[in-house]
Amino acid sequence: MTRKGRENLSLLLFVAPAFIVYFLFKLYPTFSGVYYSMTSWNGLSKTKQFIGFTNYIEIYSDTYFWKSMLFTSKYVIVMLLVANIIALSLAVAIESRKKAKGIFRTLFCMPNMISMIIGGYMWNFIFTKVLYYLADNWGMTIFDKSWIGNPRYAFIAIVIVSSWGIIGYLMIIYMAALQGVPVHLIESGSLDGANAWQSFFRITFPMIRHSLTICIFWTLNSMFQVFDVIYSLTGGGPGRETQSVAINIYEEAFSGNIRYGYATAKSMVLFLIVFVITIIQITVMKRKEQEL
Amino acid sequence: MSKKRRIQNLLVYTALILLLFFWLFPILMALMNSFKSNKELLTNVMALPTTLKLDNYLRTFEKMHYQRSFLNTLLLTTLGVGMMIVFSAMAGWRLCRTKTRLSQIIFALFIFSMLIPFSSIMIPLYKIILVFHIKNSLIGLSFVYAGFGVSMAIFLYHGFIKGIPFELEEAAAMDGCNKITIFYKIILPMLKPVTVAIAISNVLWVWNDFLLPLITLSDNKKYSLLLSTNILFGQYSSDWSAILSALILSAIPVIIFYAVFQRQILKGIGEGAVKG
Amino acid sequence: MKKMKKIISLMVTLCLVLSLAACGKKTVNSTAGEGNITKAPEAASEQPTEKAEPREAELSIMMSFPQYMDQWETYCKQFEDKMLAEENIKVKVNLEMPSSDQYDSVLQARLTGDDAPDLYTIHSNNIKTYNETGYLTDLSGEALAGKIFDNVKKTVSVDGKLLALPIESTAWGVLYNKDIFEECGLAVPNTLDELKNVCKVLKEKGYTPFLLAYQEQWVPQLMTALTIGGKVSGELPDWLDRMYADNGSYSEISDIFDVIDVIMQNGTERAMEEGSEAGSADFANGKAAMYLQGTWASNTIMTTNPEMNMGVYALPINNNEACTLINLSTSTTLGVYPDSENLDIALKFANYVLDDKDSSALFQACGFNPIATVHDYETSSWVKEAYQYVEAGRSYQDLVLPSAVTDEQGKLLQVYYVGGVTKEEITKTLDDKFKEANKLSKAAE
Repeated sequence: MTRKGRENLSLLLFVAPAFIVYFLFKLYPTFSGVYYSMTSWNGLSKTKQFIGFTNYIEIYSDTYFWKSMLFTSKYVIVMLLVANIIALSLAVAIESRKKAKGIFRTLFCMPNMISMIIGGYMWNFIFTKVLYYLADNWGMTIFDKSWIGNPRYAFIAIVIVSSWGIIGYLMIIYMAALQGVPVHLIESGSLDGANAWQSFFRITFPMIRHSLTICIFWTLNSMFQVFDVIYSLTGGGPGRETQSVAINIYEEAFSGNIRYGYATAKSMVLFLIVFVITIIQITVMKRKEQEL
Repeated sequence: MSKKRRIQNLLVYTALILLLFFWLFPILMALMNSFKSNKELLTNVMALPTTLKLDNYLRTFEKMHYQRSFLNTLLLTTLGVGMMIVFSAMAGWRLCRTKTRLSQIIFALFIFSMLIPFSSIMIPLYKIILVFHIKNSLIGLSFVYAGFGVSMAIFLYHGFIKGIPFELEEAAAMDGCNKITIFYKIILPMLKPVTVAIAISNVLWVWNDFLLPLITLSDNKKYSLLLSTNILFGQYSSDWSAILSALILSAIPVIIFYAVFQRQILKGIGEGAVKG
Repeated sequence: MKKMKKIISLMVTLCLVLSLAACGKKTVNSTAGEGNITKAPEAASEQPTEKAEPREAELSIMMSFPQYMDQWETYCKQFEDKMLAEENIKVKVNLEMPSSDQYDSVLQARLTGDDAPDLYTIHSNNIKTYNETGYLTDLSGEALAGKIFDNVKKTVSVDGKLLALPIESTAWGVLYNKDIFEECGLAVPNTLDELKNVCKVLKEKGYTPFLLAYQEQWVPQLMTALTIGGKVSGELPDWLDRMYADNGSYSEISDIFDVIDVIMQNGTERAMEEGSEAGSADFANGKAAMYLQGTWASNTIMTTNPEMNMGVYALPINNNEACTLINLSTSTTLGVYPDSENLDIALKFANYVLDDKDSSALFQACGFNPIATVHDYETSSWVKEAYQYVEAGRSYQDLVLPSAVTDEQGKLLQVYYVGGVTKEEITKTLDDKFKEANKLSKAAE
């Protein structure tokens, strides 16, 4: 046996356990999902008809799907900015604290530990009970908004709750990166007369670029599939005004017309879009990292 | 310290503390109101509870079958994450060290499905679960979790191992160690930091996962903590005091886990991800 | 001594073999019995001698109302006891109640995954679909069939076959607070003008006329259920048939928005933040005088305020009294899975739900209306009030629209409430949605 052959054999042996569970529970269902997306299967009938790309053609003119895609894209962009800016600022602010650093870090990260279903319900309580109490009894009329009913405020509510859930996580990643920045570099920067902003953007920022790539990848990937938060907060309503793609797919599959094949086709489209975007993001940002 | 610096410091502290209050507000509100009766809660959500009544907790503790649900979730999480770690460390190591076309293809296959939404494979997955007769089996479900988690774990191990010098393994191989020995004696100990990170993020994920147990565990004796909590939402949908106490009860284990392992958790999130 | 030992061991072995054989025989017997039970349920109960091993069986039941978990759990226990005592069958009932928003997806996954529950609840509007895919057993020949009231039976039958056991059946319209009405000297409105006047007087007296709780889309959807139903039954009886033939339009019934506008303009604030249960509780506490909600909400209302003096009236659509009608509908029904391993026991359970002795207590505890002759409990005053309309011929059978259209109506009304869509847009969207549903159901055939 060649050296290569031996290498491959040992590779296969070591990969086997992981590959078997992965194949059975992830890969095979994925491929059968591709097949289902080309059927007229309605989720109930025992037989399914192969209809080729008909479902995909229908998606092209499905206004609700593209509306939810638009909503999701808006949400992802806002989350990319809001969550990452806040997380990075928090990381910088907390990292430079000496004594209170540990406690701040711990407490800010706490929401990330709790399931978003639970977090969503806690916030639901805030938006439907507590804020109105404050508005009615404490004169804080700024809170007297239809937080779940008005699409614009509902969007804000969703962003707040999602940020609450993930900022702690992103913050920790940024803090870890900040720790890797040698203090003498920043000090030499400030000796050169650079102010805090300048030294951050000239010295610190380039050194934590890699963590930015990671955080943006992570935000993109998970936010595009947002489900839990919206589900426990607005349920996608009023109407479909706060419907994310994942919720649109869920609705297509499990309520109304019950079209499992069509819904699966939608999820394939979502997958393709997310896939392409993240691949582009990673290649572009990795290249930038190496340029530096 | 200059005066300007001190004022700046004070400002940052004030801002941080205000933000922190906002951050913990929902949890504190849930905690505070969970001790009130529903009537008390509806009249004034901002008031401190007049008495520390545990009625809500006792009621929901029993209703949720808390103890049983907790143990179920614990079994599911330990087994699932345990398998995930061993399987992906083995695979990640060989995939990184073998520089063949096959290795690249397998690695790509693992990474490929990382972004696939769960909803699109829900029913095909369910069919497989039935074929293997692992429905209502916590052990079976832990295999499913292992299958779901290996992609990301392999991706992280692969990235981490790239940074480990090859010489050590080579030297061990020269000494006549076989691959399994090298794996357990040399590689696995070196992977500890990334393993901790992977273990922690997956423990939290499996513990907090909702949809998969929902479709696979139908026997209420096998319910996970979140499933048991969810049942209560339907039962007490207008009774916020009961709901809030259930929310707190199901958040407690995670909070304790976090309190105990917070150093490792935070370090793990930072290091594991940054090096990935 | 050695011989002795040998003999003893031989005897022991013999005993073991014999007892094993006996066990085997019993299992054979009981399985043989299984086939017969469907035809002759008495067969098994004939010789339940003390020594006979009870047959063991599991029954899985899935239901969509977790709020009645306790009541049904108790009922399942009773069923288990009854089976053991009367039929010598040790039944283990697995009762599942996924939360209502997850219910459909879980049920579908089960059914398509060849792991169907033996009995499960579905909405009566879905009976046709589930029947076409072969997921329902014909119950016409069962004892329960003779007990169900005829007008209710119609709602769960397709082509003369009784396909599901009705559980929640209601005559409903608008709930109102009798005390407030009395205090303001108001009578129940019969026309739209009278309704407008009611709102005016209530406001003058400082009351909010309508309680709005639109957080869950099925609640605003109730407005379309009542208005379309009333309008169509009173003035356009062929509208629905024409809609199914792609030959009708929502523009023909556009005056339903007149009354919807009246309700929305005279309602409580923050409707989108109010869930249906919270709405019921607020209505019970007198936050508003009227609540467009079915009598199924009475359970929450009465627990919140047992003193509540509640009534039901038919919602006027316009000034034509012929359209002011009560809606008769069956929502939750219980179906039996035809390929169930324990079909005989599943059918026994279905029959037990309408048991002569125990059924009344269950239905009363859940606050359900009587649906069968066995239900002899005293119904509440508001239920009687609604049935007065029915007796006077002022009612109609709930219209069965494609469920995608029904969902769409609820969603659109939420958006209409927050001002995101016009009546014209709603009309057009619903027309399109109806045609799409027609197309899909044709494609399925």
